[in-house]
Amino acid sequence: MTHARIGEIVVSGNPDDELVALGLGSCIGVVMIDAQAHVAGLAHVMLPESGGERAAKGKFADTAVPELLAQMAAHGAVRGRLRVAITGGAAMFGSGGQLEIGARNEAAVRSALGAAGVRCDAAETGGTQGRTVRISVGHGAATVRIAGGYEVDLLPAAAGVAAGRAA
Amino acid sequence: MTISLNDSQLDALRELANIASAGAAGALSQMLAREVDISVPRAVACSIADAIDSCGDPEEEVTAVLIGVAGDFGGQVLLLVPPEQTFQICELLGVEAGTEVGESALREIGNILGTSYLNGLAAMTGLDLMPCPPLLQVDMVGALVASVMTEVAGDDDVALLLDSELTIAGEQCAIGFMLLPTSGGIEGLLTPLGLGPDVS
Repeated sequence: MTHARIGEIVVSGNPDDELVALGLGSCIGVVMIDAQAHVAGLAHVMLPESGGERAAKGKFADTAVPELLAQMAAHGAVRGRLRVAITGGAAMFGSGGQLEIGARNEAAVRSALGAAGVRCDAAETGGTQGRTVRISVGHGAATVRIAGGYEVDLLPAAAGVAAGRAA
Repeated sequence: MTISLNDSQLDALRELANIASAGAAGALSQMLAREVDISVPRAVACSIADAIDSCGDPEEEVTAVLIGVAGDFGGQVLLLVPPEQTFQICELLGVEAGTEVGESALREIGNILGTSYLNGLAAMTGLDLMPCPPLLQVDMVGALVASVMTEVAGDDDVALLLDSELTIAGEQCAIGFMLLPTSGGIEGLLTPLGLGPDVS
């Protein structure tokens, strides 16, 4: 299991691997899967804007999305085959009087995806609850779970794609 | 902005947290009519990811009470109570956990602890610190702590976590109690003590 901690990006081409971001609150988990190449990536984005050159690319939506795309490509993923999903962006203590970082994160991630010409296939965002996202690299599938709930499909395994060794 | 803190500054912050949480422990003790012990507070300056990891399994469900601070100070106070202890505390207060009354009682505990903690800090630093109305949420501890940290320290590379644990005598019951200051808040706490940090 490989953890994407807050502000981190992880990409794996190992079909036995599972990529996980535990306890997303106002943060966004950006999921990218190329099921055919058995490559998946996960960015645990914390804030909308980097405001310039920063070392921590995974922390900000505007730098994390291009960086995740570049790392996916470096692992052999093909842009046209990517399936993309986002989750998180909650307002954990309700939305009144706070900075609405969750909603701003979601908007910034969507706009960074749009700027890169990548479609977002699925989203499980907003609300006031935390989420955990898990990606099975071999199955090319992602699930999301809220506190006290069950794992539900975020990106189901694509039909017609042979599962990897983990299957 | 990034603040680098040396050992004597971390010691001073730990001592502030110690005295402030002693006041909070006294308030809780009066409220529950039980003896309340406090642990030696931790003062941890580390990356935000490490600070979140230090709060345990990020998926563990806890009851959190968040108390914002108005006035001279940037930062928030956060109480974390694991589920089984939520039941114990509600039982001690004679209310039912998981009900509106139970939640309101926990919010009130947060209010009283937060107020006495902030009063302690204010007395030692001369800062004007006013607690905001408490907000209560039951959820994954990682999601709760990360969201608060994002607000107070999101843009910094280093986060400061001052936390202590209040233990109720005769019960297997502990309340985690933490202060999450902004970098300006850290400066605000240290400067009156003559230990103002270097800010780069």
